[in-house]
Order: sequence, then structure tokens, then C-alpha cells
Amino acid sequence: MSVEVRNITKKFGKFAALDDVSLKINSGELIALLGPSGSGKTTLLRIIAGLEFPDNAGAQVLFYGEDVTGAPAHKRRAGFAFQHYALFRHLDVFENIAFGLRVRPFLTRPRESEIRERVEKLLKLVQLESLAKRFPSQISGGQRQRVALARALAVEPRVLLLDEPFGALDAKVRKDLRQWLRQLHKEIHVTTLFVTHDQEEALEVADRVAILRGGRIEQIGTPAEIYDHPATRFVHDFLGNVNSFAAPRIAGEQSVSSTAFVRPHDIRVARDPAGEATLKARVKRSNAVGPVANLELERLDTGEPFTVQLSKEQFRELRPQPGEEVFVELQNVKIFPDDYSI
Amino acid sequence: MQAPSTFHAPRRVRRCGPTTEPLFVRWLLIAAALVFLGLFLVVPLIAVFAGAFAKGVGHYFHTLADPMTVSAIKLTLLTAAIVVPLNCVFGVVAAWAIAKFDFPFKNILTTLIDLPFAVSPVIAGLIYVLVFGAQGWFGPWLIAHNIRIIFAVPGIVLATLFVTFPFVARELIPLMQAQGRTEEEAARVLGASGWQTFWRVTLPNIKWGLLYGVILCNARAMGEFGAVSVVSGHIQGVTDTMPLHIEVLYQGYDSAGAFAVASLLAFLALVTIALKAWVEGKGAALHPPEEKISA
Repeated sequence: MSVEVRNITKKFGKFAALDDVSLKINSGELIALLGPSGSGKTTLLRIIAGLEFPDNAGAQVLFYGEDVTGAPAHKRRAGFAFQHYALFRHLDVFENIAFGLRVRPFLTRPRESEIRERVEKLLKLVQLESLAKRFPSQISGGQRQRVALARALAVEPRVLLLDEPFGALDAKVRKDLRQWLRQLHKEIHVTTLFVTHDQEEALEVADRVAILRGGRIEQIGTPAEIYDHPATRFVHDFLGNVNSFAAPRIAGEQSVSSTAFVRPHDIRVARDPAGEATLKARVKRSNAVGPVANLELERLDTGEPFTVQLSKEQFRELRPQPGEEVFVELQNVKIFPDDYSI
Repeated sequence: MQAPSTFHAPRRVRRCGPTTEPLFVRWLLIAAALVFLGLFLVVPLIAVFAGAFAKGVGHYFHTLADPMTVSAIKLTLLTAAIVVPLNCVFGVVAAWAIAKFDFPFKNILTTLIDLPFAVSPVIAGLIYVLVFGAQGWFGPWLIAHNIRIIFAVPGIVLATLFVTFPFVARELIPLMQAQGRTEEEAARVLGASGWQTFWRVTLPNIKWGLLYGVILCNARAMGEFGAVSVVSGHIQGVTDTMPLHIEVLYQGYDSAGAFAVASLLAFLALVTIALKAWVEGKGAALHPPEEKISA
């Protein structure tokens, strides 16, 4: 059982927002759609919600086997939390959450007492019981986001869609809400797709991460898979700090030029040469503020600059001085051909 | 002030902030504005009421009770009663379409809505004479079927409808554009039909702007002279509205009578302004500017 999209293509003018995208979200799963702005994340979310429609005839949107490709938004029973919340400004928090229940057709509309009961339960779930009578303009950004989430959950959605749920919040609130969302998902287990451009957020919260680039899914997998085994240079580059070196051509084997990528924490620094893949480098600058120390180095043979992350202990042991020459060992090197530029 | 002992700035200048003019300049500007307002707005308003009662209270009420005056008042109220609801609906529909949907030639439609503001009301009246008049396009057909539009009430309603068309739409378009589409989208995803979305989300969000537009539309509908004058034919007791009746009285050397009727329109204007101020206050209180959230 799953929510699934197949072969979705969507163009805005000449710009292809989505190019033959297929994605399957298993029941109860939390998937993050990660990608830079303009990669088509939000468009995919809106197509699943029924706010946009795919261009191509072969496209399909399936909710647990039911084909909803042509169904209008109000017939789909999806939950959507908008980036800027889109709370109804003329309704208080309680009525915002109750909205989806009140607009049901007469025959399926719950009784007033039931609506009351369900809204109160949701208010409790999002920890906003005390704010039921406030208007959206009277509560904070983080609270608005939780109201938006409760409102989306009130209709018991078949899939919950979150568009940059924490995008407009400050860093501290973001972190709190992130953990809260993870916890909430554990409790209610609703099939969820959430869009973000923040790789840290995606890797921390999601069961699986789908990386979108230029309207195509570049890679999909668990956070560990994606981080440790990036399928493409783009994914590797997008998921965090990375050093790049022009890769040495191995005995004429490679016909195209390629680039080697190494994460800053995958580089060992030592005063003595050790191992095979050692290089000589000169220390340019060091910065030991915070939990890790950052070292800026320069390769002696090619002059390429790179950064290294050391733990505080390693840094204290080594005490590198600017201008000093050291040996570095690169681990977990990933080599990708230069077929495109980033 | 680092060195007050060596630099003696004139006291008055030093008190002024960087964006404040000296006291006498401020007073001069305020006085000029007040004199202007007094001369061109307050004095004429007083003159209207003074003129109305120039021949005594008896003449005032005699004029108002005159069957011709009563007929003019009735026709004006009837016109407003037809025109305002129609333009209210047209305005909301046009604003809704323009603000919430994308379609070809949207800019042309937006510009067309302003047309009645751009052309002289006399021309607005003439348009209808040319279309529906005896010599006009549909004239012979209308005469053959015994339908009277020009020099009759339908013509007055049409002309007024044209002139007052932009008020509601103009008021709502920027408001609806500023509010965006996301609340409607949220309502749709939550299961609301298009109709429910309009009544439960769109309308509550625009109600104060709508009321404001309706008030202005009503004021103009009752006060319109030029367009109505062309199509009315000035048949006393039949096609005279209040503004036209004022002209008739005035040209019949009954200036006290003319002012008496004019005082009714002036009173309406005052009520409109008061209502407008109240609505503006209400709208501002209910829609405080959304807090900016740093991204």
C-alpha cells in the first residue's frame, strides 16, 4: 500500500519543472524531497495535492491504488501544510483546525460535539490547547506552523504534504520542531512527503530522502545510503561540505577528465607520511572555535586549496602552525566524471 | 553635541529633527491646507444648507413634498437599488477572476474596467443613445417591439451602471492580489468546494473592502449627472433623478428649491464619508498588517 506518482512531467512555459518523475511513498513512511530551489520539489507536492496537474497523458497519481490523477484537490483528502501556513486569518485557531470537518457534505459531516472533540484532541497533539481562541496574527511563527499541521491532520489525510515546513522559522525553533515532527510521525504514522532545501533537516527527519535536481530525481534512499554512497557528483556535493580535486588519470584508463571528492572529516593529517594515498600540504589557516577544528590547507603539488575537519583532541595533539608542511591521507574518495558543471 | 560652548546654533533650529521643518513653515503649510479646504469644501457645503433654508423652513419642506421632487427621489433610490447590487456582483466576479486566476488578455480586462473612469460621463450617456436611441443600432427594432430604453428608466439605469462599474472592482483587485491564493488553495485541499471556498474564505477576507466599494458606488450612483442627463430626456416626474431635478429647479429660478434638494444629496455625501471612515477603521483593526517573519 502506498501513495505513488508515475511519469509526471510538468512544464511552465519552456521551463520543465518536472521531467518524468516517479516516486513511491510506502504507507506510514516519511520521505523528504530534497533539492535546490527551482528543482521542482514544490511542484511535485502540488501535483500530489491536486493544486497543479501534470502535462503528459501518461502521468498517474495513485492514492493506495485509487487513481486520482484528474481528481480536483477537494476530492483527494490530502493534507497540505503550506510554506507560509496559509491559515485563515478571519478564523481563530480552533475554527482553522475545524474547517476541514465543517465543509464536509451534510451526510458525512461529524456532529458539532464530535468536531469539538476532534479539534481538542488535535490541539493537544500539537500542544496548543491554550491558544484555541487566538487568531493567526496573534501567535508566533512556530505556533502557526503547528496550527497548519493540525488543520491538515484534522481531515485524516491519506497523505500529508509539507512544503518547507520549517523554512520561515529561525534556527532554534526549526531544530525543536524538527524533533517534534519526527516524534509526531512516530505517534500517528501518517504517510508523509515533505519538501526541504536543508540537507541536514532531510537527513535527520526522513525515513528516506529523494534528491531532486532540475526536475528529475537524482537519487533516492535512506539518509545513510545517500550520505555514504552518493550516486552522482551533484548528490555528493549537495549533501554537505566537500573538497574537490582534479582526479589523477590512472594510466590512461579514463578518457574523460574527472574530479575526486573528499569530505573534510575524511582527511587525516599527520606529521609523518603513512599509508599509500598521502599527499604533502601546507597549513594556511586554522580555526578551532566550536566543537570541531577547521584547517585550511593547500596541496603542495597542485596548489589546490582544501579544508579538513578535526576533532578537538586531534587538533590539540597536532597543533598545526600556519606555514607548516604536513602529510594528509584522503579516505572515502569518490571520483565522478566531469560530465556537467555544478 | 560635542562642543556646545564654541558653537552656538540658534535654539529654534537645534530643536528641529532632521526631517522637521521650522515651526513657522509647518504652521504656514497647515494654514494653507486649512484655508484651501475651507474655501473649496466647507464654505460651499454651508452655502448649500444656507441656500436651502433661504426662503424659510416652510419653503424647504414644501419643495421636498412636491410630487416632482418625490418622484425624483424615488427614481434615484430605485436606480441605486438596481445598480449597486449588480455592480457589487460584477465587481466581485471581475476582481476574483483577475486576482485569483491567470488567463489570456487579463491585462486588457483590467484596463477595460477602468474605462468608465477614463471617459467623460457625457460620452457614457451618448454611447447608449447611439446604441439604443431612435436613430441608433437597435433603435428601429426597439421601437417596433415597443421597448423604451432611451428617455426612460432603463436608459438611466444602464448609464449609471456603466459610470459606477469600476468602484467595487477597483477596490477589490489590489486587496485580493495582496491576499494571494494560498488561503483558497488551503481550503480546497481541506475539502471545500469552490462555492464553499468563496463564502467561507474569500468573502470574509474582502468584506470590508467590498463594503467600502459599495458605499462609494452608491454615492456615485445617486449623484451621477452627466451620463444620466444625456439618456433621461428630462421628463419631469418620470425620468428626472435628483441631480437632474436640481438643475430643473435652478433653471426655473427656484434656487431655494434647488438647494433644498441639493441639501439631501449633500447630506447623503456626509453620511457616506462618515460610513467610509468607520469602515476604514474597522477594516484596519481587523486586518493588522501581517508580521514579517524572517526567512
